[in-house]
Amino acid sequence: MDIKAVEEKLKGVIVKQLKVAPEKVVASAEFVKDLGADSFASIELVAAFEVAFDIEMEEDAALKVKTVGDAVKFIHSLVASK
Amino acid sequence: MQICVFEDKGFELLYPLTYMRPTFELKCGHTLLYEKIVRAFPGMKFQYIVRDWLEARWKEKFGADKVNNLAAIQSDDTLFINGRLLYMGLKLEANGSEEVGMAGEDVVYARIKKSEIGKYGHNVFDLVAALKNLPKKDISCTMIKYPWNLVQKNPDAIRDDFAQINKPGVIEGDFHPQACIVGDKKNVYIAKGAKIHPFVCLDVTDGPIIIDEDVIAYPFTRIEGPNAVGKKTQLFGTNLRTGSAIGPVCRVGGEVEDSIMHAYSNKYHDGFLGHAYLCEWVNLGAMTTNSDLKNDYSNVCLYVNGELFDTCDGKVGCFIGDHTKTSIGTLLNTGTIVGMMSNVVGNGGVAPKYIPSFSWMINDKYFKAQKGMETAKYAMGRRKCTMTVEEEKLINYVKAMTKEEVKAYVKKTTVV
Repeated sequence: MDIKAVEEKLKGVIVKQLKVAPEKVVASAEFVKDLGADSFASIELVAAFEVAFDIEMEEDAALKVKTVGDAVKFIHSLVASK
Repeated sequence: MQICVFEDKGFELLYPLTYMRPTFELKCGHTLLYEKIVRAFPGMKFQYIVRDWLEARWKEKFGADKVNNLAAIQSDDTLFINGRLLYMGLKLEANGSEEVGMAGEDVVYARIKKSEIGKYGHNVFDLVAALKNLPKKDISCTMIKYPWNLVQKNPDAIRDDFAQINKPGVIEGDFHPQACIVGDKKNVYIAKGAKIHPFVCLDVTDGPIIIDEDVIAYPFTRIEGPNAVGKKTQLFGTNLRTGSAIGPVCRVGGEVEDSIMHAYSNKYHDGFLGHAYLCEWVNLGAMTTNSDLKNDYSNVCLYVNGELFDTCDGKVGCFIGDHTKTSIGTLLNTGTIVGMMSNVVGNGGVAPKYIPSFSWMINDKYFKAQKGMETAKYAMGRRKCTMTVEEEKLINYVKAMTKEEVKAYVKKTTVV
């Protein structure tokens, strides 16, 4: 899966999980500040990413992901290494 | 002559209670299963056989020379005793002819001469598997097969422990003049350092009460025998109903009936715990309550290794693995299994009947546990305990072992 495909799929997951408008989900958007992901929503989001991409996100590494752009790069690297 | 307490394959049916301990370290009554065996053979040398992935942790705990040590076992005539045996109401002879005592398919004990042990295997696990080949004798006894067996046998085990302690009516601790005993005082033993505050009631009408060293029972605690309160446990106005064995070092409030709590577990607040078994370092949030009886009075079924089992018992509560926590207001269904290092967050409804180890249950959804190890170390630190290197390795081993199960449960409730 190339990075563009990851980006598209990931945005879909974010829109559904966080119930935000698709236009808000841009690379620079921060999950907590801009998309309103509180601690519980963050846990749900990580679970949704793992299921959607069939990957495993290490807890500490996942916590470092702050923006949608970070998430795209991080998940693409995990998908590529499968 | 020596005794060797061994684990057989039966540990798998006792998950999650046996993830962090061998079968013979399960608690029934005031004592652990192996402590009852040690007590029955005073002055005897002991060896232990545990499954391979518990070996390092139990060598650390019991001493390297005492665990899975084939050379030591081969050095003497040995009476092997199954760690799932509830050693109560029977007397095994250490000396005698070679034989294996069987209860159905279970090896209960086996006597082997030193010169013969080598024939039965080249490692301790082969040896355990080969014990069945000795001349057989059928015996009647209680083997712990499923988690609920421990709770079922707990009242009788407390009575037996009380008899074995043999201090009827002895009060070595501080019993306030405004505390009272209902029934025959001979059914009470209060060890040194224990403090029984005013307005505490010990009702021994239906069975004995053991209060161990340095227990504090604060005002308005009511304890009904049979009951055993372990060392340094604190009771905060607890309604401690019949058949419970608590502690050591637990903090308990609310209503507790026919339940077993291992060391360092807390149920500080109000809420009901009945016919339940809590491993070490469990914390139940305020108003956590479990059901132990179905409204139609039918048999309780629960999950054992992924399969739903009929317990053939109408009174069965919950079984919770080590380091698991529940939030305020958690409601646990009749016959619920919660694995180790999990987190159950109440949302007003009843939690599912099975919650895997290393998972979080929030709003009816399963998630991978987060920061479990850090939380466990912090909780232990608060009680001036430190997680050992081998304990941490064991936790990580079980985490890896149960990883796929958690993944499958997360998948079930995650919609993408």
